[in-house]
Amino acid sequence: MSLVADEITKRFRDVTAVDRLSFTVQEGSLFGFLGPNGAGKTTTMRVILDIIRPDEGKVTWQGQTFHRLGRGFFGYLPEERGLYPKMRVAEHLEFLGRIHGLDRRKAQAETERWIDRFEIGELSQKRIEELSKGNQQKVQTIGTMLHDPELLILDEPFSGLDPVNTALLKEVLLEAHKRGRTIIFSSHRMDQVEEICKDIVLIDQGRSVLHGNLRQIKKSMGRQILRIALEGKEDFWARIPGLEPVASRSDYQEFRLGDGVDPNDVLHAAMQAGQVIRFELVEPSLDQIFVEKVGARV
Amino acid sequence: MSMIPVLVKREFTSRVKGASYVVTTVIGVLVFVALSFLPPIVERFSQSMAPGHIDLVLYEQPGESSIFPYLEEVSTLREGFTVRSSSGLSEQEAYRMVLDEGLSGLLLVDGPLYTLVTTDGTNMMLNGEIENILNQAVSRGNAARLGLSAEDMASLFSKVDLRVREVSPLGEDGEELDSVAQAQAMVLAYFLLFMIYMALIMYGNMVASGVAEEKSSRIMEVMVSTVKPMELMLGKIIGVGSLGLLQFFIWIGTGFLMNTMGSSRILGQVLGAGGAVSTIPLETVLWFGLYFILGYFFYASIFAAAGALVSRVEEVSQVVTIIMMLIMVGFFAAYASFLNPNSTWRSLPR
Repeated sequence: MSLVADEITKRFRDVTAVDRLSFTVQEGSLFGFLGPNGAGKTTTMRVILDIIRPDEGKVTWQGQTFHRLGRGFFGYLPEERGLYPKMRVAEHLEFLGRIHGLDRRKAQAETERWIDRFEIGELSQKRIEELSKGNQQKVQTIGTMLHDPELLILDEPFSGLDPVNTALLKEVLLEAHKRGRTIIFSSHRMDQVEEICKDIVLIDQGRSVLHGNLRQIKKSMGRQILRIALEGKEDFWARIPGLEPVASRSDYQEFRLGDGVDPNDVLHAAMQAGQVIRFELVEPSLDQIFVEKVGARV
Repeated sequence: MSMIPVLVKREFTSRVKGASYVVTTVIGVLVFVALSFLPPIVERFSQSMAPGHIDLVLYEQPGESSIFPYLEEVSTLREGFTVRSSSGLSEQEAYRMVLDEGLSGLLLVDGPLYTLVTTDGTNMMLNGEIENILNQAVSRGNAARLGLSAEDMASLFSKVDLRVREVSPLGEDGEELDSVAQAQAMVLAYFLLFMIYMALIMYGNMVASGVAEEKSSRIMEVMVSTVKPMELMLGKIIGVGSLGLLQFFIWIGTGFLMNTMGSSRILGQVLGAGGAVSTIPLETVLWFGLYFILGYFFYASIFAAAGALVSRVEEVSQVVTIIMMLIMVGFFAAYASFLNPNSTWRSLPR
């Protein structure tokens, strides 16, 4: 009961964009598709959508190949946004609804509903080309979800949205998730992925680097991050071998524990250096995992 | 369920209100209206250009056989032409007379040499007219010398009108056509050919730039994730094609309207039906429709492919040029096959 990418490989001349990539997306999950620029995310999405065919391997949905599935199955928001610039907003949304298999009545009703939801009623009779980039993106995002597709594939859905609309979109995505829809989305914003996703795949150079449940991934990385805030000699850590500073914020400092360093020893040293306000052993953030897995190569 | 109707509708409605479409349609209508007013205007101009009166003074070298009587004969037949002899005057005095009385010119005849002395030497209409008159007079003179009567002359220059009756090898009798009807048939065919040619270039370009626009605006990616590429292309071609048909209907309709309203009946004349458009055989119209649709689909698909080769609308014109040449080759081939519709290379495709 899931989407399975099985050893897919796609080459463009002598560049291998996707290299024997395998991953599974459970039906009804919110799936984060991560990777640095040029890792092959968009290519993989296009393969899933059957826009391009892989050279090897295949993608299946519940054991079926994708081109057997109906029109309304997918909703796709490409990274490079595009709409017909001369069409009016409501007209365009209705058109997108119709080519995704809705009849005219339903397309009109859904257009109205979504325009209300995203509060763009005053734009509905404007031409796409007259809208701002952010509003165009809103319209296109609506166009992807208008027909309530079984599988939503969103390439960087949050980029270019202001905080209000980001929150709105998150809400909408979570609603779709509750209805049992499967959502795959890519993002550069790890905090957003952490907030929404339960499962992820992290790819680099066309290969899967990390794949699975986000919580388990984090657990497997170990609690190796130490957050300390104290009033006193803040540079006490310099005397402790194996403690590597990762980030310095105004409210606390973050360290990575080296092998064989006992957190208790660190706490002891900190207490001697001054008043300890905060001492916390945390899981690495997705951001840090990302940098560790991908940044190691760079 | 096919998505073609939805795509056609989008293609049609989004373009039909576009500025470029409206403007070209209106300009086309204006051209048709102007065309129907053209013949009377041209007529008026050509009337004003034609020399009204031609008054000549003839100065001949003495001793030659005079052309004067024959010129006089022509002057009785042709309105607005007078001639008088300069007998007794010198060349200078004769020219003085032309100037004083404001005549058209002085005609000097010296053996086979004819010279017109005039102040209005660049008036081509006048020169041509006088040459015409002279030729008539000289022919009359020659005829008289040979002892031919006017009837003899007429029969000498009479022309044959070849009538053609095409008969099939099976002995089926065809229609009999005289040369005027033949010419009219050809003009009709040429007109229809030109319409196809124009439509292909105009709407083919529209298809190509439409495809390129979809590519450059990136909507293509969304479209192909749900619509089959074939549907996408057919939707575009049919959509643009129906726009084209609408435009042609408007133009031809204007032509018909002007034809029935105006006195000029230009469209009927152009179509070779002598003013009555209804005499065009229905069969011809149907064949035209069929070839129009086939040709349009064929070339529009090539245009669509050309549009898919580039990624920006600005680059379309480069690839489209090649196809235009292809269409031009077809156009000239069709034109050449007018001359002999049964020639080998014309019948090759059969």
